[in-house]
Amino acid sequence: MTAIVEAHGLVKRYNGTLAVAGVDLAIGEGEIFGLVGPNGAGKTTMLRMLATLLEPTSGDAEIAGASIRRNPQAVRRVIGFMPDAFGVYDDMKVWEYLDFFGRCYGLGPAQRKRMIGDLLELVDLAAKRDAYVLSLSRGMQQRLCLAHALVHDPQVLLLDEPASGLDPRARVELRELLRELRSLGKTIVISSHILPELEELCTSVAIVDRGRVLASGTISDIGQRLRVGEVLRIKVLGDEDRVEAARAWFEGRSDVASASRDGSGEIEIGFRGDETGAAALLAAAIRSKIPVVSYSPAATDLQELFLQVTDRDDAVADGTQA
Amino acid sequence: MSAVAARLSLRGRRIPSFRITSGITAIIVKELRGRMRGRRAFIVLTLHVLLLALFAWMFQRLNEESLANVGSYGGQAATYASASVGRGIFIGLMMLQTLMVAVLAPAATAGAISSEREHQTLDLLAVTPISSLAIVLGKLLSALAWVFVLILASIPVTALVFVYGGVAPDDMLRGYVVLFATVIGLGSVGIFFSALTRRTGASTGLTFVTTLALVIGSFFLWIFLSNTSETSLTGQRKQPSEALLYLNPFVAQADVACGTESGGFGGSCSIMSGILGTPDQLIPPDQFPGKPAPAPGIGVGGIGIDPSDTNGVPGVVRLQNGVVIAKGGAVNDIAVAPVVDPLRDRFWPKSVISFLVLATVMTLLSVQFVTPTRRWRPSLPGPVRRLFRGGSA
Repeated sequence: MTAIVEAHGLVKRYNGTLAVAGVDLAIGEGEIFGLVGPNGAGKTTMLRMLATLLEPTSGDAEIAGASIRRNPQAVRRVIGFMPDAFGVYDDMKVWEYLDFFGRCYGLGPAQRKRMIGDLLELVDLAAKRDAYVLSLSRGMQQRLCLAHALVHDPQVLLLDEPASGLDPRARVELRELLRELRSLGKTIVISSHILPELEELCTSVAIVDRGRVLASGTISDIGQRLRVGEVLRIKVLGDEDRVEAARAWFEGRSDVASASRDGSGEIEIGFRGDETGAAALLAAAIRSKIPVVSYSPAATDLQELFLQVTDRDDAVADGTQA
Repeated sequence: MSAVAARLSLRGRRIPSFRITSGITAIIVKELRGRMRGRRAFIVLTLHVLLLALFAWMFQRLNEESLANVGSYGGQAATYASASVGRGIFIGLMMLQTLMVAVLAPAATAGAISSEREHQTLDLLAVTPISSLAIVLGKLLSALAWVFVLILASIPVTALVFVYGGVAPDDMLRGYVVLFATVIGLGSVGIFFSALTRRTGASTGLTFVTTLALVIGSFFLWIFLSNTSETSLTGQRKQPSEALLYLNPFVAQADVACGTESGGFGGSCSIMSGILGTPDQLIPPDQFPGKPAPAPGIGVGGIGIDPSDTNGVPGVVRLQNGVVIAKGGAVNDIAVAPVVDPLRDRFWPKSVISFLVLATVMTLLSVQFVTPTRRWRPSLPGPVRRLFRGGSA
């Protein structure tokens, strides 16, 4: 897969504060790429630099081969940007809104007419064509704003927190829409601090904190690279004492870092070792007459990854300070 | 929804090459759609014209009454009085409209860009290929278009003065040129502050303070300087530079009004002479420095009787800069030729140029504040840039 968005050492400094501290990114064509991070991590700053709205203090990025520093005009033609806090013009109708942006991209009257019809159908607002933008619900405005970013058929979509402030139904609709766009061949870069939202959607993610990319790749890739060991969930037959005894047995083993019981009575252990080791552990447990009902690695969860990555980062930061 | 996606041919759309004019057009169309929607604009326009007509009638009554009190003018009274009333209405209407645009033009533009910031829509515009210059010019022109419409609608009302005389069509043209320049100049001040500040409130405040400084402040400063400056040997005070008043639309209109007054006897001309000094041509020749001595008894310009004529009938001469440029037997023979009035056009052209320079500077500064990146670096228009790159782009 060729990279359509490439960043090399992007740095942005605001009055001495480092908002983005040297970011390298490579986003392949047709991906849905998630920028994950807490508020203030620098996601918005990164996206705004890619959208040519902010000039990097140093470093550069290319989108579809055009440099955001040297050729922002060419970049603007291939990107569609939806800012975090997007506005709507109060005295405009829905079709006029899209017509205006169509004119901004130099589309002719016939092109604009076709585009407005197509896009309103895509974002499911065809019935609202003559409604005033201000009268739309938040979710509809969000979809209209997404449609505005599509008027010139961009290759890359940069979406900053597109699902913030949406109710669950609108979120599902938005997710469907983004999948739809991916199937149309768009590359989508999306930032969010709501992790489950990205997990289902993204083909790869970058975990961002304090202006740095801590890890990037597909979710399972990052999981494998980061994990010192694996988290195993084990269900044991029997009453409270039985389970507690089993937990103690697991905890006593040298290849187990930790063992704890969760609310549902399952045992969760931090295991230092690979799959062969995990098989050996299971065999040993059965030899010790522990009635194991189920034994499985805990599903890789973006939230967990995120916590793990940012924890480590805290540890590093603490270490350097000490 | 996948059925829709299948039908969509989004990939096939081609983006045509982009010119600055299409950007300006896009902004203007968008702005005017909002501004001209519904009946509001037409009601305001109608009220505006009706109010102007009411004021025109009041100016007419005022001037008639004041003339009636003066008494008889002999044989030419009716002609003179009618022209005087016409001038009165003209001056009144132009001053009134100047006051109007001095309020309306800054008010129309002061929120143009800051409101986009407040509504968080400026980013949406900035990521399109529209240049910052197109955004600023589009905003300026669309905001001022409404003021232009109001001014244009007033022309029929102002044209009523032709019924009375005293004002020529070219005087009216001068007045409207000054009015339009005022709108562009003061409007650009509003655009500048709306590009500079984040909030419309702040922008409006700064714009009106600046407008007041230009319109009233400059006049007070001029009066202050002219009354406190050092006195020369002849006991006259040194006049402050007239340039101080170039951006004062009322002084420019007074100069236009002065052009309609004969022989510099009207109120507008005395104001203008107070500012600019008496025109060289009207200074008696014996006090006139450094110019060839004119024919005795006549000024250096205008029409006069040449007493030196020897055929018994005094000849009529027309002079310019003290040199006889025409000579004839009767006054009418020469008066029909266009005469350069020394009291005309002494100030307002400079004022118009100053307003246009102001508008250019303010627009270029605004562009810097609208541009998200590359601030304070010159950005040449596309075609010019390509020229420098030798057509490689």
